[in-house]
Amino acid sequence: MALRQTEMRPMGKPIGRKEDPRLIRGKGRYVDDVMLPNMLYLCIVRSPYAHARIRSIDTSAALAAPGVKLVLTGEDLASMNLAWMPTLAGDQQMVMATGKVLFQYQEVAAVVAETRAQAEDAAQLIEVDYEPLPVVVDPFKALAPDAPVLREDKEEKSNHIFHWEAGDREETETLFRDAPVIVSQKVRFPRVHPSPLEPCGCVADYDPAKSKLTLYVTSQAPHVHRTVLAMVSGLPEHQIQVISPDVGGGFGNKVPVYPGYVIAVAASLKLGTPVKWIETRTENVASSHFARDYHMTAEIAAREDGKVLALRVKTIADHGAFDAAADPSKFPAGLFSIVSGSYDFKAAFVEVDGVYTNKAPGGVAYRCSFRVTEASYLIERVMDVLAQRLGMDPAELRLRNFIRKDQFPYKSPTGWVYDSGDYEKTLKLALDRIGYEELRKEQAEKRARGELMGIGISTFTEVVGAGPAHLFDIVGIKMFDSAQIRFHPTGKVIARLGVRHQGQGHETTFAQIIAEELGLSADDVLIEEGDTDTAPYGLGTYASRSTPTAGGAAALCARRIREKARKIAAHLLEVSEDDVTWDGIAFSVKGLPGRSVSMKDVAFAAYTNIPEGLEPGLEATYYYNPPNLTFPHGAYIAVVDIDKGTGAVKVRRFLAVDDCGNVINPMIVDGQVHGGLTEGFAIAFMQDIPYDADGNCLAPNWMDYLVPTSADTPHWETDRTVTPSPHHPIGAKGVGESPNVGSPAAFVNAVVDALSPFGVEHIDMPIFPWKVWSILREHGISE
Amino acid sequence: MRTYQGEFTIEQPREKIWNFVIDPNKMGPCIPDLIQLNVESETRFRTLVKVGVGPIRGKFDLTSELTVTQPGSTASLSIRGGGMGSGVDMKAAMELTDTADGTLLKWKCDAVISGPIASLGGRLIDREAQKITQKVFANLKNALDNLPDEAAVGATDGTAADEG
Repeated sequence: MALRQTEMRPMGKPIGRKEDPRLIRGKGRYVDDVMLPNMLYLCIVRSPYAHARIRSIDTSAALAAPGVKLVLTGEDLASMNLAWMPTLAGDQQMVMATGKVLFQYQEVAAVVAETRAQAEDAAQLIEVDYEPLPVVVDPFKALAPDAPVLREDKEEKSNHIFHWEAGDREETETLFRDAPVIVSQKVRFPRVHPSPLEPCGCVADYDPAKSKLTLYVTSQAPHVHRTVLAMVSGLPEHQIQVISPDVGGGFGNKVPVYPGYVIAVAASLKLGTPVKWIETRTENVASSHFARDYHMTAEIAAREDGKVLALRVKTIADHGAFDAAADPSKFPAGLFSIVSGSYDFKAAFVEVDGVYTNKAPGGVAYRCSFRVTEASYLIERVMDVLAQRLGMDPAELRLRNFIRKDQFPYKSPTGWVYDSGDYEKTLKLALDRIGYEELRKEQAEKRARGELMGIGISTFTEVVGAGPAHLFDIVGIKMFDSAQIRFHPTGKVIARLGVRHQGQGHETTFAQIIAEELGLSADDVLIEEGDTDTAPYGLGTYASRSTPTAGGAAALCARRIREKARKIAAHLLEVSEDDVTWDGIAFSVKGLPGRSVSMKDVAFAAYTNIPEGLEPGLEATYYYNPPNLTFPHGAYIAVVDIDKGTGAVKVRRFLAVDDCGNVINPMIVDGQVHGGLTEGFAIAFMQDIPYDADGNCLAPNWMDYLVPTSADTPHWETDRTVTPSPHHPIGAKGVGESPNVGSPAAFVNAVVDALSPFGVEHIDMPIFPWKVWSILREHGISE
Repeated sequence: MRTYQGEFTIEQPREKIWNFVIDPNKMGPCIPDLIQLNVESETRFRTLVKVGVGPIRGKFDLTSELTVTQPGSTASLSIRGGGMGSGVDMKAAMELTDTADGTLLKWKCDAVISGPIASLGGRLIDREAQKITQKVFANLKNALDNLPDEAAVGATDGTAADEG
C-alpha cells in the first residue's frame, strides 16, 4: 500500500503518487483541454499515395466553405521558408509536400476554420491532382541499383542514408575463422508504434501585439522544441514560450517536432489568432514517427562448451521517407552497439545501414534508449538459438557467459564502459523464484503427453541516461539536464526541472530525492516541469534519462543548497561552520545533538535573519553532465502454454527481476515495470505496421494495430536486486524502459522453446496464433 | 496492385454487345451505385459513384477514358479518380469473341487503390470488387436483354442501391 507523503526520509519508500489525485479523477489538463478566446481549428489533408508527383492543388472550394479562415499548401509554406524542417537525426523533413509526396498520409494541405467540423468538411473539398510514381516499400529493394531514387532533394542520388559500424572487424573475423561452433539467425524487429492514448497536438498562439508565440504542445522535450522552432521559424527564442501541459503518454512518440506543430504555428502567425491542431488516431499511427523496423542478422562464434567468442551483426534499418530517428547526432543507429549484452564476448563487430522507403518517417526510441530494444531482443534471441544448437539449457548457457561481478567497470567489445552489475545474482534469484527446475520437469512430462509448454529467459543489459555531453547531443545541444530549487520563507520548496514527465511520476520521485537531501517530506516539495519560460534548460524525458540526468541534477542541486544552508545554520547555532553537522533531518552542533536547527528554520532565516556577508534567499540551479551512462539489467522469465488446436499462446507466468540500482520509489518502479511489460507483450504477440506493395499502410488504426486491454494482459510478477550505479549521485540507474527492452525476447524464447521439439529455432514477431498454428500444422499437430 | 479478371458468355451477337459497351451513354448506367454520369465525349466520361468498403462510406469522382484497340473485339478503359482522401487508378481490358451460343466476354482489370480505402478496407476490397463486377455484368446482361427497348437500360440499375 502506498504511504502518505508526509513520511520523512522518503527515499526508497512507496509513497503515493502526488499526480494521481489529479489524473485519475480526470482533472489533468492536457493540450486538448486548452481553450483560448477566438481559437480556430486546423485539419490536415494527407496524401493517399505513397509516392506521387503533385501536379496541382485546387483549394478554391475549400476556401469558399463555411467558417474557413485559411488554407495552406506546401507552396504557401515555401513562401514563408517553412516548407522543410530539420529532423532530430539531422535530415530534412517536408512540413507540407512541395513537388511530390513520399509516403501515404503525408501532409499535403491544411485548412483552418472556426470549428473542427468545418475544417474537416472543407478539407474534403481540396482537390489534389497526383501523378503516381513507382513505390519502394522493401528496404532491401530500395538499395538495388535500379530502385527509383526517392529523395530528389538530396545531393546523393541513392536511397542509402548512412553506414555505421562499431567494434573490431578484424579481430571478430579472426575469431570466427577458428571457431568450432557458429550460429546465424535472421531476426526482424517489426515496425511498431508507441501509440500513446493521447495523440499529438498543439495550440499555437501568436500574439502580434507582443510579438510572442506561446505553443502548448504534447512534448517530451519542450526546451528542444523551442530551440528547433526558433531555428525553423526565425522567431527570436526568447519570444517563444513552449508549454507542455499534462501529457497522456509519450513513449518516445512525443520527442520529435511534427509537421502539424509547424503548420499550426504558421497559421497562427498568418492569422494572429490561436490555432488548435489535434491528431486523429489514424494520423497518429500512420504519420507520426514509428519505432524499430530493423532487419538484423546475428552470428555468434562459440566453443563447443558454450563459451561465446565473438559476435557479428548486420542490419538494414528502414527509416521511411525521412530520417527522423530521434537519436543523438553522433549515433545514427542509436546505442545499438550494446548488442553484446550481458555476455563477455572477446570481440564484436556491428554494422547498420539506414535506408529510405516510401513509408512514414522514423524511428523513434519507443520506450527505449535509442535502439537498445532491437539490440537486446537480438542478442537474447540468438543466445537461445546457440543454446538450442548446442543442446544446452538456456539458463546454463547464460550463466557460463555472463560478465562477472568482479569485471565491472567492464569495457565492452564495442566500447561501452558498463558501470556495475551482478547478472548471476539477478538470474539466480529469478530462477529460484519462478521454480525453474520444477518447471523444466513439468515441461518434460507435458512433452511426453504431447502438450506444448515453453519457458523463455531474457537476461538483458540496457544502456540509458544520455549524456555524457562529450558523446551525446541532439541538434548540437549537449545532453545534460538540470534542476532549480527554491526555498520559500516558510520552508516549502518549488523545484523546476528541464525534463518533462508523461506518466513516470516525477512529481513524486523528484520530490522524494530533494526531500531526502534536504530533510523534508515529499509533501513539502512541488515539482514543476514543462514550461520553458520558468524551468531551466534541459533535453527532456526519454531514453530512461530523467533519473540518471535530472535526478542527478536534483540531488546535486539540493546539496548545493545544503552548502549555503550550513552557513546559515552556523549563524543560527552561533558556532563556526566546521562545527555544524547534517544528520539527514537537521543541522546540529558537533557533540551537542540537542542543539539543532531544521532546514525549515534555515529557510526562514535565509529571508529574515541572514548572516552578514551572505546573499539573502535560498535557491540554486544545477546543470548536471553525467560522467557516464548507466547500465540497468534484469532477468525475465516467461512461461507459456500453447493451444494445439488454435496456435494461441497463453502466458501462464511472467517474472521480471530488475536491477535499476538504488530505488527511489518501489511502487512507481513496479508500475513502470508493469506498463513496459504490457507493451513488450503487445510487441511480441500483437503489433506490426505492414504496408502493401503500393505503399498503403495496412494498420493505421487500433482495429488493425492492436493495443492490449487489461483482459488480454497476463499477470506480472516482479522482484529486484540492487546494484547501485557507482557514479550516479544517488546510485540510481533508470527503469522505465527495461521491461519493454527485456521482455519481447522472453516471450519469443518461451514460444520457440515450446516448439523446439519440431526443430523450430526462430519465429519473427508478432507471434500471431496463425503463425504458431501453421507450424503445428506443418508438423501434423494441428489440423 | 490488385488484378481482377473473369469471363462470361452472353447469348447475343458480338456486334450488338460491342456497340453497347463502347457507348458511354449505354455502358455508364450499368455501373452500380451510380449517382451521376457526365459523358464528355465519345470516349471520355465522368461518373460520381457511391462507395462503401468496410467502415468507409462516401463518393468517388472517376474519370474514364475508352480506347478501342481492335474495333469490334478489343478495347481498354482507364479509370482514375477518387474521393474521401483515397485514390483509384484502374486499367481494364476487354475482349469479345464469337462462340457457339453467342459471345464470350473476357475482361481483366489492374487496380491500384490508395488511401484510407486501401488501408482501412484492405481486407474487404477483394470481396467488394467481386461484388461490384458481378453487379456490372448483371446490369450489362439485363440491359442487353432489354436492348430493343433502349429506354429501359437505365432502369436496370436497381440491384445495388440498398446494399452495402
